[in-house]
Amino acid sequence: MSFWRRNLAAARLAWIQQFEYRFNLFVDAILQPVLTATVEVALWYAMVSSIGDGVELAGFSKAHYLHYALWAAFVARVGANWMYEFRMGEEIQSGTINVILTRPLSFYQFYFSQFMSYKVLTSAISLVVPAFVSTFLIPGPTDLTRLPLAGLLIFGYLVMAYNISFIVVCGGFHLNRISSITAAKNIAIWCFTGELFPIDLAPPAIKHLLLQLPFSAGVYVPVGYITGRCDASLVLNSLGSVIIWAIVFGLIGQLLWTTSIKKYSGTGA
Amino acid sequence: MDQSLSKSDIASVAISTTALSRVFQTYKKPQGLKASLTGFFNRKYEYKQALKPTTLEIKSGTIVGLVGANGAGKTTLLKLLSGLVHPSSGTASVLGFEPWRRQESYLRNMGILLGQKNQLWWDISPADSFSLLGRIYDIPKDTVTLRVIELATKLQCTDQLNVQLRRLSLGERMKMEIIGALLHRPQILFLDEPTIGLDIVAQNTIREFLTSYAKAERPTIILTSHYMDDIAHLADRLLLISHGAIVYDGTVKGFMGKADLKQRLKMRFDDPLKVSVKADGGEWVIEAGAAIADLSVAGQDVSAVLKEILSQTRIAELQIEQTDFEDVIHEFLASESRRR
Repeated sequence: MSFWRRNLAAARLAWIQQFEYRFNLFVDAILQPVLTATVEVALWYAMVSSIGDGVELAGFSKAHYLHYALWAAFVARVGANWMYEFRMGEEIQSGTINVILTRPLSFYQFYFSQFMSYKVLTSAISLVVPAFVSTFLIPGPTDLTRLPLAGLLIFGYLVMAYNISFIVVCGGFHLNRISSITAAKNIAIWCFTGELFPIDLAPPAIKHLLLQLPFSAGVYVPVGYITGRCDASLVLNSLGSVIIWAIVFGLIGQLLWTTSIKKYSGTGA
Repeated sequence: MDQSLSKSDIASVAISTTALSRVFQTYKKPQGLKASLTGFFNRKYEYKQALKPTTLEIKSGTIVGLVGANGAGKTTLLKLLSGLVHPSSGTASVLGFEPWRRQESYLRNMGILLGQKNQLWWDISPADSFSLLGRIYDIPKDTVTLRVIELATKLQCTDQLNVQLRRLSLGERMKMEIIGALLHRPQILFLDEPTIGLDIVAQNTIREFLTSYAKAERPTIILTSHYMDDIAHLADRLLLISHGAIVYDGTVKGFMGKADLKQRLKMRFDDPLKVSVKADGGEWVIEAGAAIADLSVAGQDVSAVLKEILSQTRIAELQIEQTDFEDVIHEFLASESRRR
């Protein structure tokens, strides 16, 4: 019981902190993903504008591409976790992690609860935009009844992404500054998620490789499922893969934590 | 070392360490771009023993003042005992726990205040932080509310409970930090510079609060401070630490008894001295022709000095200041720094 009370309190903290800075929350949850989506949809519109109605490119219509670009921009934003990874790294570098180390609270749990709570809040706000646009402004292949299963996959992806972040963060005990690793890792993962282009457009070998990796669960599979490019079986396969990798990365993270914490020098205290 | 524990005391020992030590790896880079470039490829590390093997025992309910110059090893000892860092060697038991294992039962009974670091959350109000801490420590909501009001009233900061922490002054923030550290009634409390940077009024409020809190709740407290008034007011036991080793373990009174106490004499003469007045050991001299003098004299020599001056001239003004604990400690710390 106390486990849940403690973690819900950490989750509540993330909301309180977000509501303290109203304009920042608006930019974070609405403006930033809307700008990204506008750019990406405009690019795809320019590319597929020559396709006439009823004509398909690689098996999909113009509307499919536009809806994919729209949802991909927002879902990729949901799956991004650089901000919390950066904050956790900063806590180690500056020594503010002492606050957590001296309380009956685990660093992993404390940030996991905050991270998830922040994602629930910002996603609930920001995903209204693509849902509205794809239903009323640009009607097309989007099927909102598919959102729950896609959401479950995104949740699994978030757990895995957090566990990867935790591994990187543990490196902070040894290297002190890890912000460049965070940036490089996130660019690499971004290329694998399918935000840039639908993975099914890639050559077969690359497509096969990208689908074998769990990162397609961040954008391509859930967005493909919502916009009619993938079926439920691919989502379930992806979910299984994400769960296995989340466990693997989680175990590596805990092992690294146990050894890395011994290196900590209580910086700045 | 003038403290020892009998067998019956062992049961009430809150902290015990055996040869506890910590070595930190450091990297020194000489000034300049060339040195940065050299260091990029060939970095030379040094190992600094922040705490030499230390064995000590502290009884439950004792308030220990830990005093030393910057870098002497005070904070390292606190970090080890609070479980923030692992030792390089040795063992420690705090309330029966090995601190760096960070077992939940230990962390629930330990409180720490790091005067130079925020322990509460910067972006939210102290009231929200306390509510979160209440949940972390499994304290019922009503108990948290009552405890916060009780502590805030004593610290005279009830008006600031709902203001975002970052908007509070340093003194107000420190009071909130103290509430955060005491909310769960810790049996053991580590206070690292609780009055640092505060004005005299805030220092006194916190000092008086800690004195009454310690009397009422009898926690074991380890206190470090650069303000010797904090130590003199609060500490039952004094640990002086220098170059990572404990060099004095006893009471404040005992330390003062061992110190070479002096009186400071400030004088203005009616007429300049005709002949120099010198101390036997040559520690000071008042040159012939001087119209004023400011010197520290051993207590037993005061009357002889005054007698010799009065044989030459009348003293128009005389101030005699007793050397206090602060002076003795500062002299001690200064001499320790010179030894480096």
